[in-house]
Amino acid sequence: MIDEIFLSQLKQSVDLFLPETILVATFIIALIFDLIYKNSRYLIAVISIIGLVFSGIFLVNQSTSSAAIFSGMLSFDPFGNFFKILILLTTIIIVLMSVFSKELYEGGRKTGEYYILIVGMTFGMFLLAVANNLIIVYLAIETMSISSYILAGYTKEIKRASEASLKYVIFGAVSSGMMIYGISLIYGLTGSLTFDAINSAMISSDISGLTLLIAGLMIIAGIGYKISAVPFHFWTPDVYEGAPITITAYLSVASKAAGFAVLIRFLKVSFFDSTNYANDEIWTLIGTIDWQIVIAILSVLTMTLGNLVALWQTNMKRLLAYSSIAHAGYILMGVVVMTDIGVTSVLIYFFVYMIMNLGAFLVVMIIANKTGNEDIQKYNGIGHKAPFVSACMVIFLISLTGLPPTAGFIGKWAVFTAVLKSEYIWLAVVGVLNSVVSLYYYVKIFRNMYIRNFEDDSEIYEFSPGTYILLIILAVPTLIFGIYFTPLLDWAESSVKIFLGV
Amino acid sequence: MLIDVPQEYYLILSAMMFVIGSVGVLTRRNAIIIFMSIEIMLNSVNLTFVSFAAFMGDTAGQIFVFFVMAVAAAEAAVGLAIVLALFRNKKTIYVDEVSLMKW
Amino acid sequence: MFTILGVGPLTWITFLPIVSMIILLLIPSGRDEKSKMVSHILFRWLTVLTTFLQLLLALAIYFNFDFGLTGINQQSTMQFVERVRWIEIQNLPLLGNLKIDYFVGIDGLSAPMVLLTAIVCFAASFASFGIEKGVKGYFAMYLLLDTGMMGVFVALDFFLFYVFWEVMLLPMYFLIGIWGGPRKEYAAIKFFLYTLLGSVFMLLVMIALYFAVGTFNMFDMMDPSKYDPSSILAGADTFWRYVAFAALFIGFAIKVPSVPFHTWLPDAHVEAPTPISVILAGVLLKMGTYGMLRISWPMFPDAVRYFQDYIAFVGMVSIVYGALCALGQHKVGKRDFKKLIAYSSVSHMGYVVLGMAAMNPEGMIGAIFQMFNHGIITSMLFMIVGVIYDRAHTRGLDDFGGLANKMPVYTGIMAIAFFGAIGLPGLSSFISEFLVFVGAFKTYPVLTIISGSGIILGAGYMLWTLQKVFFGKLPERWAGPWDPTGKKYKHDDLMPVEYAALVPLAIIIIYLGIYPIPITDLMNTSINHLIDFVKTTGSFAAHL
Repeated sequence: MIDEIFLSQLKQSVDLFLPETILVATFIIALIFDLIYKNSRYLIAVISIIGLVFSGIFLVNQSTSSAAIFSGMLSFDPFGNFFKILILLTTIIIVLMSVFSKELYEGGRKTGEYYILIVGMTFGMFLLAVANNLIIVYLAIETMSISSYILAGYTKEIKRASEASLKYVIFGAVSSGMMIYGISLIYGLTGSLTFDAINSAMISSDISGLTLLIAGLMIIAGIGYKISAVPFHFWTPDVYEGAPITITAYLSVASKAAGFAVLIRFLKVSFFDSTNYANDEIWTLIGTIDWQIVIAILSVLTMTLGNLVALWQTNMKRLLAYSSIAHAGYILMGVVVMTDIGVTSVLIYFFVYMIMNLGAFLVVMIIANKTGNEDIQKYNGIGHKAPFVSACMVIFLISLTGLPPTAGFIGKWAVFTAVLKSEYIWLAVVGVLNSVVSLYYYVKIFRNMYIRNFEDDSEIYEFSPGTYILLIILAVPTLIFGIYFTPLLDWAESSVKIFLGV
Repeated sequence: MLIDVPQEYYLILSAMMFVIGSVGVLTRRNAIIIFMSIEIMLNSVNLTFVSFAAFMGDTAGQIFVFFVMAVAAAEAAVGLAIVLALFRNKKTIYVDEVSLMKW
Repeated sequence: MFTILGVGPLTWITFLPIVSMIILLLIPSGRDEKSKMVSHILFRWLTVLTTFLQLLLALAIYFNFDFGLTGINQQSTMQFVERVRWIEIQNLPLLGNLKIDYFVGIDGLSAPMVLLTAIVCFAASFASFGIEKGVKGYFAMYLLLDTGMMGVFVALDFFLFYVFWEVMLLPMYFLIGIWGGPRKEYAAIKFFLYTLLGSVFMLLVMIALYFAVGTFNMFDMMDPSKYDPSSILAGADTFWRYVAFAALFIGFAIKVPSVPFHTWLPDAHVEAPTPISVILAGVLLKMGTYGMLRISWPMFPDAVRYFQDYIAFVGMVSIVYGALCALGQHKVGKRDFKKLIAYSSVSHMGYVVLGMAAMNPEGMIGAIFQMFNHGIITSMLFMIVGVIYDRAHTRGLDDFGGLANKMPVYTGIMAIAFFGAIGLPGLSSFISEFLVFVGAFKTYPVLTIISGSGIILGAGYMLWTLQKVFFGKLPERWAGPWDPTGKKYKHDDLMPVEYAALVPLAIIIIYLGIYPIPITDLMNTSINHLIDFVKTTGSFAAHL
């Protein structure tokens, strides 16, 4: 009976979809509770955390399964699972951070919707990480984007925030318009919207030429907007500066992760010869368009521009925005390689980047809670006023620069290893030169903290124990993974397999 | 009936609409008009999808169009709400006057 | 090999400072004046104790060292070896099995450096007593730096080596940046950027070497038969091998520093506080030349032979240019004592590079002995500057004169260091410079003769400074006691802490000048083997 097969497939699909289902349930429950308990300060945050943790438990349990579900719309595989766990961890940390954010709760602002939207955005990113169909890609990107437009302008009385939100929504809408135009061209060329069907259509009918290039570039532009790759990065600094710090941190890690997940999956499943996977390690491009060069150019532009413009930033959020652009460039170097080792390095880098970047933003938030803004001048003498926080900041910044013995070094090392293995020597040289440039502006931050106005007798800032715990949660792994990184490499290595469809 | 018109015509029309929309986004300064231009871009995409779907006898393209329409509505709602918030703050909806942050 | 609590001496000597650093960070520094003072005394003496234990360990290692074992490229003849699997991952895509070891050990090349590091760190910890601001942070960074330096000299796994190499940068940045002079920000970031620029290229070469041999073990990287023939670094005298060697060389030459990569050094030296100048000149510069001998020479013997002439030329230029710059300190407006010594360091490290390029036992032993001597002598010179800077708060050469009458003992000790720097017979650096010249003359007669002018110029600026600062008439402003209240300086001459720092170094200079065998014998076997190895492997490879 055909129906029974369909039913059993559906049952499997629903089973595998459990983490996402829990997120949706959390979303609805939180919405109801928010209606009932209008004035509670942390209730919705607690509900969100509980939902996220439950979702995480199921996520970890299915980390080895690999299947196409919902008739090939989504493909669940270790690769997608890795990104989902990464996004989930980020979300949990962001929710915890938000609880301590002064800016968010200022003037008795209601924050119920804030946490609800974060959960909704997480759902969108989960879908994006496993999407195997361009419709799902579009829907997931929009689910995540529309939530993030609102979140970016959540502190709506602040002029900067509403401006950021407006810029975000305009750029976002245009780039998703471009992306679906590209999708429509791909659809016209191949007659299909599923990644693997696109692949088989391209193998059988040898599609190439200008139309494919334009369509591919448009889709890459749409995704590039999410990962803020140059030249699709224009919104990034403004939005990062204007949005609440927690949301800035969230966008810089989670939405980038989701973007990279779909970029790699789309490139690998659609544009590489799936019939030639006897040797899984060598990826053969279909057609005449050299996507590697396209990505390599994007990567070089992204890291170089990000680093150079970051040099003269004076606002910490903006500086970290450009730094996150530069990091997207480093991660793209891993994508350029387009082999399993490249994907492994991307995964390693991303995990490391999550920890250290969230840490840096956490410190920015803690200090902004005290000083009221994020101007780099306000960091003068912080080294003495808040010794522990500053020491953690130094660890995060050193890690962002990529110096041992921090996790950031392991990330850089993995990426350069991948690039050198495929003998893209020029790319590796550009990469290391960029990391030297980046040192200058990271050092600028702790120069202000420690070297300028370093007085022994200034006031000492007091912080709540919660912030200290969060800091330790982020700073310790930054050091540990720099010294003992076997688990990280193991996990990344086992997550590298991308499900290729049926 | 639909097939009587060659497919190129649909595609050229939709490409023209897409370009008109893009140019509108790039040149106009009024946020509302920018959103309208974006709608034109999205509609050109819809046209492409529908024509491809019709000519290939495949339904996926038409389904995509429904989603695009729904999402466009949501996006417009959020966009207009943001424009409203901005207007309360700055008493303007002209994007070139929204320039607290540069570089 | 002896062990303490089941752990080998090299691990102890490397990580003892880290342990002390953690203890130190746990001691609260106190809020009120009195508890602050107590905690500062505690921090100081904890550091002295740590470095003293380190020195004892280094001496224990020295006396247990077997002078007959070669080391260099022979894993079995390394001494005090400790090897523990650090990272092991099976079947990585394309990387295969990733294995990184915690692998330390020493041979005749690194043993003098370990000894030197222990001596200099111990002496500099006394010189650190003058630090008043942020004392806790200072000593924490000092100890971290100590670990980084020691680690570089004992690491035998390239990955480990690189980690230690980079660990040093951050504490050094803070030590110059926070406790430095007026242009400390500039000097600190310049140091940081220059060194990082050098080390990122080292990172790329390290990864490329890893792909060639499949491990990070230095000995495998030295063995041409272990190279994967399909790797870009396989074979000999290939384009990529030359590029890799040049990248490594620049990385190390920045640290040495050789002209034209030397411009960070004068800035860093002038701005750094005295003890940090001491460590910078005494140990950090040696890492560059040590890295060349430990990594570049044995791993790229073919490229060394190809670039040999250029390296000798770089050495010659450094000698002459450094000496001219130091001499120029007497012509132009600002005559800074520390800058003079900084440029003399560039010049003296040039001898090391020249001796290394000569590739014969005399030159090479001279070079390493010169590394050791320069470490001791320059440390002393910087401390001497520190002594008068603490008292007079100026380092201008023109501000002084006739100090010999005011501070006779100080002048006596200073003279030893000065004559040591000139290379007077009977003092240690005479032997090393002589050996370098003998060795270099055999290979590069012309370059050596030109380099000889460095000696003459060196004598010129040193004697001139000696005369200017210590003889002649004492300026009016220094006529009274240094400290009229008598609180800090009870009399005009050296204080006990300063004796503790300077006298042992002076003794070493004289002792090794008369009887250099303890150090030269230490390295003899290894260096001869290194030269043989580079020559045979390099020329063998050339005939492939």
